[in-house]
Amino acid sequence: MIAYLTAMAISAGIYALLALGVNLTWGMAGMVNLGLAGFFAVGGYVSAMLTKAGVAIPLGIAAGALAAAATGAGVALITARLRADYLAIVTLGFSESVRIAAANEIWLTNGSDGIAGIPGPWRGTLPPQQFNLVFLIIVVAVLIVTFVLLQRLVHSPFGRVLRAIRDDEDVAGVAGKYVLAFKVKAFAVGAAVLGVAGALYAHETSFVAPDLFAPLLTLNIILALVAGGVGNNAGAVIGAVLIVVLLEGTRFIAPLLPFLAPAQIAAVRELLVSGLLLVILRVLPAGIVPEKIST
Amino acid sequence: MIRFTRRGLLATAALAAPSIVGAQGAALRLGVLTPLTGAGSFDGPRMLKAMQAVTNDINGAGGILGRKIELVVEDDETNPEAAVRAAHKLVDVDKVPVIMGTWASAVTTAVAPVCWESKTFLTTVSGADSITHLPHQGYLIRTQPNNQLQATKHAEFIIRHGSKRMFILAIQAPFAEPTRKYLTEMLTPHGVTVAGSLIYDKDKTSYRSEVDQALKAKPDLLYLNGYAPDVAVVLRDLYRAGYDGDRFCQSYALTAKALEELPKEVTQGVYTVQPSADVDSAAYAAAAKRLGIATPDSYEAQATDWISIVALTIAKAGDATGTAIRDSVRKITNSDGVKVYTAVDGLAALKQGKEIKYSGASGPCTFTDIGDISDCKFRYNRVENGAFKYLEVS
Repeated sequence: MIAYLTAMAISAGIYALLALGVNLTWGMAGMVNLGLAGFFAVGGYVSAMLTKAGVAIPLGIAAGALAAAATGAGVALITARLRADYLAIVTLGFSESVRIAAANEIWLTNGSDGIAGIPGPWRGTLPPQQFNLVFLIIVVAVLIVTFVLLQRLVHSPFGRVLRAIRDDEDVAGVAGKYVLAFKVKAFAVGAAVLGVAGALYAHETSFVAPDLFAPLLTLNIILALVAGGVGNNAGAVIGAVLIVVLLEGTRFIAPLLPFLAPAQIAAVRELLVSGLLLVILRVLPAGIVPEKIST
Repeated sequence: MIRFTRRGLLATAALAAPSIVGAQGAALRLGVLTPLTGAGSFDGPRMLKAMQAVTNDINGAGGILGRKIELVVEDDETNPEAAVRAAHKLVDVDKVPVIMGTWASAVTTAVAPVCWESKTFLTTVSGADSITHLPHQGYLIRTQPNNQLQATKHAEFIIRHGSKRMFILAIQAPFAEPTRKYLTEMLTPHGVTVAGSLIYDKDKTSYRSEVDQALKAKPDLLYLNGYAPDVAVVLRDLYRAGYDGDRFCQSYALTAKALEELPKEVTQGVYTVQPSADVDSAAYAAAAKRLGIATPDSYEAQATDWISIVALTIAKAGDATGTAIRDSVRKITNSDGVKVYTAVDGLAALKQGKEIKYSGASGPCTFTDIGDISDCKFRYNRVENGAFKYLEVS
């Protein structure tokens, strides 16, 4: 059981990083980013390819983050004039483009076979159980550092400008802020966090393939953020943990429903997860930890 | 201070006795990880049913090692990320020695490291050649023929069939490129021209432009290497384009359900192929009877074989751990012993101390060192009036 809880805690940590990354662009700067799976993939693939070529894992993760940040800046520039729904659609299109490119550029990404055998920190020298524990410590450490840095960002002048842009872009512009530069920076930093999450995921499971970056993941993270509280970093982390608890906890209902076939139980699980999220949002429309609006 | 009294000890012993007996008879839990939702949700539940049917037979005959089998089922959601979480649950919470049933190649490749690192045995239908080349240390077998074996056999059929000019329409999947390569290598020396090939993306609502491109090459045979949803669209578009040549696809790409849904004119004359046991195989007949289906498909047959092989291996090894299964599985599948065709018959023979060789519903089930099947027959059907008509097994 401990081994299972460790593995799920790693999943929750990676989900939390993803939610934090999205929260920066969406929650703080008001730019809906449904392209998160794309940045997750860029981080994962870059780190996977570099570390398979012999680069040290921390450097691989850093390179994954940088590559995701550069991609994020590019996407922000391309979508500079888009807002709200239109931005959401284009970013979703971006993540699908990354997935399809990864499936077709076989020379680079090994196509839909994916890249297997990605090294992990002390994988092979440690027994699997201890490897998971070490990896959990790494994920939690990265999560804490990211969280603290993002919290500082919230309270910095930069964070205030982002919120001003979110609330009214034109007013921020009139006040002398160069809106586009702020947006590009916010997108780049958010994407870097997503890239780190992707790289960590690749080193944990030792495998990346285009199918991993299907829209299901995007959906889970957006739900986590909405349930936790958009605009609040603590909400993002709590929402991510909640999603993993819901996804995994519903597995254990099977023994309670012996009269249903496994395929029906699988459907009931999906129903339960969506139903519980609906209840949360009905009772707490601003999420579990709403953003504190300071005046 | 604890005081032992005779009466107290007797009472304790009386209470403990049923639990000791119970522990000896505690169910043996085996893991099933099939797609119950997502793209594989047509095949997953049927594979599960096939495994449940064999389990019932085995339990009815007294179980293995004096224990009943209990299948612990998780949904892989046809998604590698969700599947890895489910595999962790099966391995770490349920402590299963084996996981049976991964379907999509990406799912199997993601789940395999979880299995071999935790010394859990994995059985799969995934077709990507790369899977058996993973460093799985023997903890993996695949009952699905790999691309090379499939393409070789398909090519033999196409040559016999007398086609001269073939075009390949394939979905973007791990098997697309290797299959094209092997087909071309096999067909060209026998005077069949591979006039071209293209790879398309899944989930499109129309493949008109792909179909136009294929028909420009004037093929007399189209090799449709896709999955059910896209092949249904391609067949419609071919019909609309007025193509009257032959079409050839895997049986999983044109299912009985699809035949019901598509107009008869659209599917008329399509050739389908599936890995198969001999038609007169006793194992296949037993599976058909057990499932109450006239012709179980390849996946149902393979699922039947996994649970049978695993149960027989555990009985043979006398130990229900993943490592024991790995070390003993070829004593059941690759042996020269008495041929058995069902798990129940095999268990009876093992009890008599006989060496056995399990010959399965999906084929002979003889495995190479890396876990591929070494040979397999293929069953060819042709669609006539909206129903499959049996052609040959070869």
